[in-house]
Amino acid sequence: MKDVAIVGYAETKIDVRTGRTSYELAGDALDEILSRTKVEKSEIDGLSVSETMSESANPFWAQYMADMLGMSPTWLELMGLGGVSSIGGVARAAMAIRSGMCSIALILASDAQSSGQTPEQGAQRHEFQYPTGLRGPVGAFGMIMRRYDHLYGLKDEALARLAVTQRGHALLNENACPRLRKPLSENDYLSSKLVSDPLRVLDSVMVCDGANAVLLMSADEAAKRGLKAVYPTGYAELTHYNLTEPMAEITDSGFLEAGPRALKQAGLEASDIQSFHPYDDFIIAIMLQLEHIGFCAQGKGADFVLNKDMTFKGDLPLNTGGGQISAGQPGLAGGGLNLVEAVRQMFGDGGARQIKRTQNAMVTGIGGIPYARNWCSSAVMILEQ
Amino acid sequence: MVEDVKSHRPLPKIGSYLDTKEFWEGAKRGKLMLQFCTAAQKYQHYPRPVSLYSGRHSIEWREASGFGTVYSWTVTRSPWPGHEARVPYICAYIDLDENVRFLCNLVDCREDEVKIGMPAEVRWDRLSENIFYPDFAPRRRAHP
Repeated sequence: MKDVAIVGYAETKIDVRTGRTSYELAGDALDEILSRTKVEKSEIDGLSVSETMSESANPFWAQYMADMLGMSPTWLELMGLGGVSSIGGVARAAMAIRSGMCSIALILASDAQSSGQTPEQGAQRHEFQYPTGLRGPVGAFGMIMRRYDHLYGLKDEALARLAVTQRGHALLNENACPRLRKPLSENDYLSSKLVSDPLRVLDSVMVCDGANAVLLMSADEAAKRGLKAVYPTGYAELTHYNLTEPMAEITDSGFLEAGPRALKQAGLEASDIQSFHPYDDFIIAIMLQLEHIGFCAQGKGADFVLNKDMTFKGDLPLNTGGGQISAGQPGLAGGGLNLVEAVRQMFGDGGARQIKRTQNAMVTGIGGIPYARNWCSSAVMILEQ
Repeated sequence: MVEDVKSHRPLPKIGSYLDTKEFWEGAKRGKLMLQFCTAAQKYQHYPRPVSLYSGRHSIEWREASGFGTVYSWTVTRSPWPGHEARVPYICAYIDLDENVRFLCNLVDCREDEVKIGMPAEVRWDRLSENIFYPDFAPRRRAHP
């Protein structure tokens, strides 16, 4: 459906230990999006706020944020799906606009994770995880990589290609973390330190601070205001794929189900997708998503990557802002990073890294790391002009 | 609880999210205890307040065999806090004979010895006077 549109985006620079807070960063994003769209703050009556690492101790976080930014929403959502929170927020805001709960919604994500305190996730971790010393997501993805290698064989050159492609994009992205805006060779990736075999340090993200946002309104309202518009025409989300199969294959994921469902909703095939903006907490996650969403068969991700040009000039541009791995992960606001880049490209604002084909784009989200599986939530959003 | 043995890794905070006494009491006696859903006739792990399958209180604790096979593994070179003195150490997912996956350390095992599918058996690590933690090691005992 093209009845609700994304009409604006904003993004702060991403950096490490800025000493700033989620509120300050969110203020920057709000100021920028109001400036870009000429929408008045008082017109925004819907707000989705992503959970953060730095402010999660506050159970009233979304209300505090609305207050801090001077908003009185009639629809307020606290999105706690990790890297799914931004596209999940867009999908929920579209429903809220359709149902009349609000008319203009801001989907806001900000986090100062590298400057704040990381909260405790608790639950079974104290008894059944921490005493083993599994190194959080890095350890869990080390397990996934080992398993993938066992089933299909890991092709180092394909992983290196993905790392180098994204880094090339970060070099052209002024918002990317300055520490990461240095050229990277395939050899740099391959010789980077092993942290959780076979996972290398350059397989993973660097935690940073930053904020981003998009603004939604009805297509009619966008046209009336003469705003650029892209439409979320497909969205699918799944939390805890295969949960009741305690020995499910960890190289399978919710994208096997959510990918085809989002594509079907948009009436597209994977091969129709013109640019791909997957959630990239780890390099292997990009390859798994290519396979599960249906760009190629399972186990064939490496061949796909090596046979495509995934740079911004190529036939399937990948995370053209550098992704989280090369632009930096602004904590739990990371799910909005690749969303904003997709919208920016579709608006023709890509600058030195502008891609050619922008009729559509696919953005994904991954959130949460559970006990002895891969990840909690998988979500896919398709945007069209 | 007074701990009179200095642990080389973080102690589990027993009972911090639900009553897991059966698991840790079993551990003291060298028994690996798992929750079993009597409705679905399936095991589950980690312990939950209800059956993973039925959502009901249809669960009881049963002793598991302590046998399984390595499903996946990773060598941790950059430690989780509290494990600094142990690096490098192997974390593994073990598929137990009871059809549940178990996160643990693989001990008494060289890195070049580990293989996916390798038979493994439980090995108890005494972390304190009263706390025994389940690790797994390559299977040496005969499988029943």
